[in-house]
Amino acid sequence: MVSPHCHFDVLVLGGGPAGMVSAITASQNGLRVGLIDEQVEAGGQIWRAPWASSPQGYESPEARDGNKMRDRLALSSVTCLFGRRIWSVTDRYRVDLLGADGVETFQAPHLIVALGAHERVIPFPGWTLPGVMGLAAATIMLKAHGLAPPKDWVLAGVGPLLAAVAAGYARKGHPPKAIIDLSGPSDWFAALPSLASRPGLFKQGVGWVLSIVSSRIPIYFRHAIRRAEGQDRISACVVGPVDADGKSIDGPEVGIACNAMMVGNGLVPGGEVPRLLGADQVYRHELGGWIPECDPFGRTSLEHLYAIGDGAGIRGGAVACSAGKLAGLAAAHDAGRIDAGAFAHQSAQALAEHRKLSAFSDAMAHMIRLRPAQVASIEADTVICRCEDVTRQDLVAAARAGARDVNQLKHFTRCGMGPCQGRMCGDVAAEILAQEHRLDRQAVGYWTARPPLRPISLQSMLGRFDYADIPIPKPAPL
Amino acid sequence: MVSAFTRIVASHHALVHINVDGVDCVAPAGEPLATSLLAAGYVMLRHSPNRHNPRGAFCLMGVCQECAIHVDGQIVQACMTPVRAGMVVQLRGAV
Amino acid sequence: MSTMHDLIVIGGGINGATTALFAARGGMDVAVIDRGPLCREASGVNAGTLTMQMTRVALIPYALRAHHMWATAREWLGHDVGVVVCDGLSLAFTEQEAELLAFRAGKRREAGAPITLITGQQALQIEPGLSDKALLAGHCRVDGYANAYLTGLAFRTALLDAGVTLTENNPATDIRQTSSGFEVVTKQGPLRAKRVVIAGGVWIEEMMGWLGIDLPIKTLVNQLAVTERIPTAMRTVVGIANGLLSLKQYPHGTVVIGGGWQGSGSREGGTCSLLPERLVGNIRLACHAVPALKDARLARAWTGFEAETRDALPAVGPVPGIHNAYVIGSIHSGYTSGPYLAKLLADQILGREPDLPLFPIDRLLKPEPLAQG
Repeated sequence: MVSPHCHFDVLVLGGGPAGMVSAITASQNGLRVGLIDEQVEAGGQIWRAPWASSPQGYESPEARDGNKMRDRLALSSVTCLFGRRIWSVTDRYRVDLLGADGVETFQAPHLIVALGAHERVIPFPGWTLPGVMGLAAATIMLKAHGLAPPKDWVLAGVGPLLAAVAAGYARKGHPPKAIIDLSGPSDWFAALPSLASRPGLFKQGVGWVLSIVSSRIPIYFRHAIRRAEGQDRISACVVGPVDADGKSIDGPEVGIACNAMMVGNGLVPGGEVPRLLGADQVYRHELGGWIPECDPFGRTSLEHLYAIGDGAGIRGGAVACSAGKLAGLAAAHDAGRIDAGAFAHQSAQALAEHRKLSAFSDAMAHMIRLRPAQVASIEADTVICRCEDVTRQDLVAAARAGARDVNQLKHFTRCGMGPCQGRMCGDVAAEILAQEHRLDRQAVGYWTARPPLRPISLQSMLGRFDYADIPIPKPAPL
Repeated sequence: MVSAFTRIVASHHALVHINVDGVDCVAPAGEPLATSLLAAGYVMLRHSPNRHNPRGAFCLMGVCQECAIHVDGQIVQACMTPVRAGMVVQLRGAV
Repeated sequence: MSTMHDLIVIGGGINGATTALFAARGGMDVAVIDRGPLCREASGVNAGTLTMQMTRVALIPYALRAHHMWATAREWLGHDVGVVVCDGLSLAFTEQEAELLAFRAGKRREAGAPITLITGQQALQIEPGLSDKALLAGHCRVDGYANAYLTGLAFRTALLDAGVTLTENNPATDIRQTSSGFEVVTKQGPLRAKRVVIAGGVWIEEMMGWLGIDLPIKTLVNQLAVTERIPTAMRTVVGIANGLLSLKQYPHGTVVIGGGWQGSGSREGGTCSLLPERLVGNIRLACHAVPALKDARLARAWTGFEAETRDALPAVGPVPGIHNAYVIGSIHSGYTSGPYLAKLLADQILGREPDLPLFPIDRLLKPEPLAQG
């Protein structure tokens, strides 16, 4: 086994806004920084680099911001370790990677985790059919790859992403056949005042609305997908009304023929690394779920471990940038590169910025929050765990057989044991368990994090070896 | 194909040939394979191992594992695998 | 005032739960408490192997009987733990390993394990998934595995059916001796019983301390890994001569890779962590034995505690000097042999003569001889 590369003061996991800004900030303050991401370019999801078109050819503000930050990163002294899958993170702080050249190991005294979030999709019968995809997947197709769903496609879910995707595709001449919005107009109006603090975003939002209105897309407010139908692919869906809490209510159902659906119900923080390392966790419903407990600088309960960005609570890209600045400064300070005075001075502005942005991010996070009543409305035979085909009734049966926490639930049913490692089903499965026992989410807990952080082939871990070189420990006693 | 996903941006990347279940296809070199497959009309990619239900790409960001299929004999996530000339793709999962 | 139980079992793993089950079926009023859910430590996270070829020689007679219990779990436990009985192969790839294998297989055979030595080619006929590099193999028809993560569900249902009072997520913090028996102090209040069984896994050292007994227990941190579901690659349980590999494929397709490679961690903190280079070592060994595994993806790796006494033999029997107090734990390959040893302890508690002797802890309480120099 090769010995770890130890020439960094800090390793940053995740090259989205939070990771990029923290890496640049830490490097500007004298730290040797390694920035690790699985993608071949920095940007994360929100600033995902346009791939299909030339970078200059794309017009969205996110693309401009992303390109600007990618330029700053290129000019910085940050070492970019891209195209590498993180499979293990262990104590103080060893990171094992798998890249095109095989396995690599890095070690540094400081670790900033900025691995973002994944999408929450509230299951409905047929959501596993090919052609049903996540809303975030739609934004990736739109922003990075210039791909539109086929003509009759349906857009469903909740939050600003819904409007952004609808408007983005409408402008390209590929509007959805219908928009199914869990929110009603009153929810959108309630979020308006928070936009006042962000004139740029307000303008962008108005632009979205105009695009949607002018393309005359039918919008079903306070509706959700009841089911998707099809054989080997979605061919139709049925939508029905919901109340303000997202609960299915009586009312006319509408069938829509379609051959694709993009659906998303918000984001869940991807907190696996801090969890794996044993950092204290807290459940914050309004921030998307379980997150590491952090101070305003992203310091977790473990020394020199920082968690920032959507993986530390859903707050969006702008807050991620200020959080990145704060964590980069904190790492520099904690490593002794800047003194307390400089730290206080430099972080004051970012802290103020952070506070200013929070009104908007709170409003958006509220819009995409989990609606327990929507989970309660999931039908019994609906698949919750896609990997293992575990249904709601399987989970309920396990709860009634005595599973009280999510790890027991996993043991009883295999829910979350498949290759996605519970990322797609975890939030909803935990909610179902909590509701079944009338417990709060804290009480039912979270999946224990396990390596590898993403599945990797055994072949890729092996490297070249001779049998004689395997460091076999001494034989077990006879 | 009527129901294929549509390219709406002219790509400046070179087109290469790949083989999908024995059928020759062209795709931009370097594009995530999952995207190329959608554009080529391959929406169903595999079946779930437990109940053998049809599945296709879902998250496109490396999380959901629904697009984990055989490429050159290895299981890979199509959304995280750039297209290379001559790639042999089999639309079946680990089982 | 709380009920006076006949027996309180502290610790709801395989050992505690089985003892409680048979004591209850023998007519006792039994309570089981666990600091977490049932079978969520070693009993739920181990590799589930039911093999003779990794069992200590002294335990073979017990393991053979326990194997029969696992194979018939539906009958006495009443619930499925996913037990599959199949052939087991222990491989030797080098001359040195062949020597070790021949010696160890011989000792185990003397103790009653039906192990025969076969050539690598013969092993290939039994398990076509094997590498052709094995020189020698130990072959045993009494082998197999259970689905360890189903253990908790099975025992939970069985205990409740047997009328056991079950309190999960309720750590005990002390045991007090009273005129009529014992008072166990728990988070949810005191429990009283005429008898007490300490079955707290790696934590029995602390629990024995409550009774004023010093029983040193070493904590092992075993690493394990599992692949995603793959097509059938093997049908037997495969290990190697030195005991540091256990490998089998479950009917649903996942392959569990174990063998006791050590991670880091401590029972006090309750946290443990995998050492990546040891995981790689374990996986190299696995792929060397069954090459088709190379194509599988690793889905998950984890660690679990295993308790070990000074002589690596079990601690099962009465607590010396304390009437009606018992201990059970530190059974090497405890998942395999645990149910039978627990049944023996239940017999003793019920006043019946156990079929085989227990492993009283008196031998472990004498001070260890001072090391020279």
